[in-house]
Amino acid sequence: MSKVAITVNGSAPTNVFPPFILGSSAIASGDEVIIFFCPGGAPAMVKGEIEKMDVKGLPNLLELYEGVRNLGGKIYVCELALDAKDLKKEEFREGVEIIGATTFINEIKDATITFSF
Amino acid sequence: MAIKNLDTLGLKCPQPILKVAILVPQMNPGDILEVLADCESFPKDIKAWAEKTGKTLLFCNTDETGKHTAQIQF
Repeated sequence: MSKVAITVNGSAPTNVFPPFILGSSAIASGDEVIIFFCPGGAPAMVKGEIEKMDVKGLPNLLELYEGVRNLGGKIYVCELALDAKDLKKEEFREGVEIIGATTFINEIKDATITFSF
Repeated sequence: MAIKNLDTLGLKCPQPILKVAILVPQMNPGDILEVLADCESFPKDIKAWAEKTGKTLLFCNTDETGKHTAQIQF
C-alpha cells in the first residue's frame, strides 16, 4: 500500500473536490492519505464551508470528507493560515488538525504519490 | 458466512467504493457483499479495489439499463 500526500492551496470547489475524490479513492483501497491545506486552501476547512459546495455531477463532498476521516485519513491545516486568513483554531471543522510545515514534511517523507491542487 | 447488501444507486465515483470500504470492518472472512451501482466507472473500480485489497470479486454484471450488480467475497 502507498502513502498519498495531497496539498491544497485554494478554497474553491475546483481545488477542494479533487483532494477528497482522489483521497477517498486511495484510502478506500487501503492507502494512507494525508491532506494538507496551505493558507490559500484553509478557508475550505472552516465549519460549514464543505456543506456549501454542491457541484453538478460531482459526488457529495461531505460524504467524501467523512469517508476519508472514518478510514483514518489525516486532514491538516497549515498553522500559517491562522494569521494569514484571520482564522481561529476553533473555527475549523472537527477532525482537522493545525500543524506546521516541518511536521507535514516529516510525515510525508516516505509518500510515493503526491498531488497539489 | 453471511450475505450483506449495499445499494449505491445514484451515487457517483468514488462514493460506491468508499461505502464498500467503510463496510469492510463488519465483514468476516467468507462473507459476501452484494453491491448495486449505476456509476459508469463502477465495474473497473470494483475490480481494481478487489485486486488491491486482496478480496475476491465473484462477478460484476451490468443489465440493459446500466445497473451493475457485483458480489465480493471477503
